[in-house]
Amino acid sequence: MNCEDYREAIGADPSYDGGEAHVSACAGCLAYRSEMRALDQKIGRALAISVPELRMPELPDVDTAAVVSLAERRRFTAPVWMAVAATLVLAAFVGVRMYGSNVTYPSLADEIVAHLDHEPYALRVTDEPVDERRLAKVVPANLAHMNHDAGLITYAQTCVINGRKIPHLVIQGEQGPVTILLLPDEAITDAVPIEGESINGIILPVGGGSVAIIGERNEKLDTIKQNVMNSVTWST
Amino acid sequence: MNSSDVGTARRRRFDELVATFHQDMYRFAAWLSRDRTVAQDVVQESLLRAWKSLDSLRDEAAARHWLLTIVRRENARYFERRRLETVDVDDLTPSQEALLANEPDHELDDMRDAIYRLDDDYREPLVLQVLMGYSTKEIGELMGLKQGAVLTRLHRARSKLKDEMDNEMAFGQSES
Repeated sequence: MNCEDYREAIGADPSYDGGEAHVSACAGCLAYRSEMRALDQKIGRALAISVPELRMPELPDVDTAAVVSLAERRRFTAPVWMAVAATLVLAAFVGVRMYGSNVTYPSLADEIVAHLDHEPYALRVTDEPVDERRLAKVVPANLAHMNHDAGLITYAQTCVINGRKIPHLVIQGEQGPVTILLLPDEAITDAVPIEGESINGIILPVGGGSVAIIGERNEKLDTIKQNVMNSVTWST
Repeated sequence: MNSSDVGTARRRRFDELVATFHQDMYRFAAWLSRDRTVAQDVVQESLLRAWKSLDSLRDEAAARHWLLTIVRRENARYFERRRLETVDVDDLTPSQEALLANEPDHELDDMRDAIYRLDDDYREPLVLQVLMGYSTKEIGELMGLKQGAVLTRLHRARSKLKDEMDNEMAFGQSES
């Protein structure tokens, strides 16, 4: 490790504890480390602004009849109840996802944007592909055929959009993760742009359905769009 | 458990989350928006959105990340709706000024001023690392960036702050 590498590492994270061999022999970097750590303390103090008293917004009623608590689900522990519990949990899970928040959206695009908030962990930067069996489960053959030409698929989850279960996938783009929602039952005639300060996306008509593609603000979607269009075929 | 009990348990769960993470939400919103009044609006909207989608939070350990993600999106939506212009540090509203000044410690004021003037791309990862204790990997996940890009932004952010503070110090010495 040389001085430049070490200073970059310390500048990015002053708590960095690597490069001991270098810093113990380099007075300049030792001084730089002390300076960065002192600077970080000042940054921390400056960022810790006072917080005003909480103003809780008026919270709307939710349809709690559709919500089954975890405690209630866990009550079914005896083996004799296992089959019943599995059925109930599955039913409750689907029910919550479909009706739990009881929110309606003015448009498909609005619901899609709101849905992204629900699963922040989907948007992970990673080079680990999703398990093939999971992908096959989320995108079953009787729904669609999708190959890996679209990009490295790193997340696959069955979600509910507009009351219908759909595959929610994430691939890795140049600027970060890109969400792909396969919407075989959402027919649209023209492409619908989804634009925002932090996101950039589009809903594309594909056959009798559509596909939503949403990336980071600066993501170049043209290539991804083409690859996704080429890789998705509806089975129905 | 009847639906009334479920509703009460849901509200209790929400209140506990808010009590634990309200400060983080507000400070994150304040440094993203650079405006105390906007931060309060963003937190209000975020709480509302979190309440509506609370049932999608299945892992309590992920609550802070989930809430900060909502704050981040609400902040972006706020500015999208208002189409606010980038503010000049020399032409601030009282609410924006309130984020910076009124500290007896001038060095602290100078630091806040310098952080305020950092580009969003540099300020946000710095806030997440220093204030929220996020690792560079977690910052990358939240911001949708590769870890290398996060490291570069953090390094540049600190370099800029260091230069600013050094300049302030040199200016102060030449004044005296």
